[in-house]
Amino acid sequence: MNRNNIWIHLTLACLLIVTAAIAGQIERWRSALKQTGVVSRTSVSASHVPDISDKHRSPELIVKFAPNIGIEQIRSVAAAHNDAVVDEIESVRGLMVIDDLDDNDAEADAKEYSSIPGVVYAQPNYRIYLNEPSSPFQLKDLKYRDPAIAGAPNDPYFKEQWALHNLGIDGGTSRADIDAVRAWSRSHGSSDVVVGVIDSGVDLTHEDLRSNNWVRPDNLAPYHDDELGTFDDLYGFNSADKYADPTDDNGHGTHCAGIIGAEGDNGVGVAGVNWHVKILPVKYLNASGTGDTSAAIEAINYLIARKKDGVNIRIINASWGSNEPSPALKDAIQAAGDAGILFVAAAGNDGVSNDDIPHYPSNFDLPNIVSVAAVDRNDRLTTFSNFGARSVHIAAPGKDILSTWPGSTYRTISGTSMAAPFVSGVAALIAAQEPNISVRNLRAKLLNSVDKVSDLKGKVSTGGRICAAKAVGLRD
Amino acid sequence: MAFTIETAVGSACADLSHRLGIDRGEIETVSAAEHEFANGALGAPTRGEMAAMMLTSGWKIRLRAAGEIYEYRADLDQLRLHNFRGENYVIK
Repeated sequence: MNRNNIWIHLTLACLLIVTAAIAGQIERWRSALKQTGVVSRTSVSASHVPDISDKHRSPELIVKFAPNIGIEQIRSVAAAHNDAVVDEIESVRGLMVIDDLDDNDAEADAKEYSSIPGVVYAQPNYRIYLNEPSSPFQLKDLKYRDPAIAGAPNDPYFKEQWALHNLGIDGGTSRADIDAVRAWSRSHGSSDVVVGVIDSGVDLTHEDLRSNNWVRPDNLAPYHDDELGTFDDLYGFNSADKYADPTDDNGHGTHCAGIIGAEGDNGVGVAGVNWHVKILPVKYLNASGTGDTSAAIEAINYLIARKKDGVNIRIINASWGSNEPSPALKDAIQAAGDAGILFVAAAGNDGVSNDDIPHYPSNFDLPNIVSVAAVDRNDRLTTFSNFGARSVHIAAPGKDILSTWPGSTYRTISGTSMAAPFVSGVAALIAAQEPNISVRNLRAKLLNSVDKVSDLKGKVSTGGRICAAKAVGLRD
Repeated sequence: MAFTIETAVGSACADLSHRLGIDRGEIETVSAAEHEFANGALGAPTRGEMAAMMLTSGWKIRLRAAGEIYEYRADLDQLRLHNFRGENYVIK
């Protein structure tokens, strides 16, 4: 091979290599393009692919007309086909959205339009709907979103809170509720109002309660009792074990607290009667939900002391009781009244008349006590609720009540325990509106703020169920 | 430890055996069934005891010994003896 041949071969070899390289790169590009296409298709997960079934096809067309055809001429063409121009896409000259008023097949219509002189193209305009979810909550959700419920909070479980706003579903009766949504047009409560919840404690870290839990102000010294000592009652008090931690180990207190004041319109959980309020928990019921009378008295004593220290405690909620009278408990409640605190008590769950078989503390004849019976979602006295034309004053929702539960959870439970906090909550709404109202007037206003219910006639002294809207000054 | 219906019946039998001074074999379980009680004390409060007024699910246990029926009430957290010679008792 001579030198010239060598150069010729070298040149050919280089050309082959370059050609092969270019061909290889082109193949890689083609492969990459294919790959990109595959990825782009599969990256749309099935759950996000809209369902375009026939029933979801709208008889609309997107039609592009030649630029020389004016809008009036296009309208005439559409009208001749019993169609109508519904939109002109200004960014593309001659592009129209046409509604087929006959509801004919869109594909056939598109073909028909395509054959019309002056039409550049025509295609069906598919209106795309996602498959409707088959969630059992769908119906409720749609009703919940009914614009008639203006003023409803965005709490996701609100629709389950029939006691606040009864949608008439789940076997309930529309408006058999405390009319909270209307009441909220006047007041959502106030963080200046403190409600003492003497109970099993409260979940202090609950997602829907923590911003409404009372915290001892910096300028208020830790609680001191001459006999018991000093307690760093930063979040409340435990009168059973005589220490400062009121953390709930049962759930009952957390549930009652949520009814009174789960934070409202925060996009979390449930709404309380008050969106804003301060809950001051005093724990005296144990993990089983029972407690000593002495611890109950100590709890009241603590709240009276704090009231005298300047904490604006207006109401005590007492969702507990027994059939045993205690003069000491009565005296403690009377002292609370003297200090300006309303005492709201559950009437009891034995299904009997408290006129005949007294239940305490609800039966104490004191001017600051409100005794509360329970009604269901049809405004009927529940079978378990105690009643008494002389000894029980008012009714409130108490069956299948959804509220907060320890561990940032939620639970539906029943009892006059649940009815009492609705009344306490409404009392707090009134106190927010009228900061200087006396206990006597607060109680009178509550008892005058009922919806008369036929089933309660002769069963509670007011003959009615509490109505929050009336309590804040609204009429039917 | 939380009760189950079986452990509640076992604890009730043990209590009644001790209380009456009889052998466990002399105690018959008449019934043990789920029940909804009126309050946190399972409708069996002791003297001076207050109870949360929420309906509470548990078990009603009826035992027979020496021709008498004795009623225990339990939930996950507690066991009570109802109306034993006119008094209620918290067993656990």
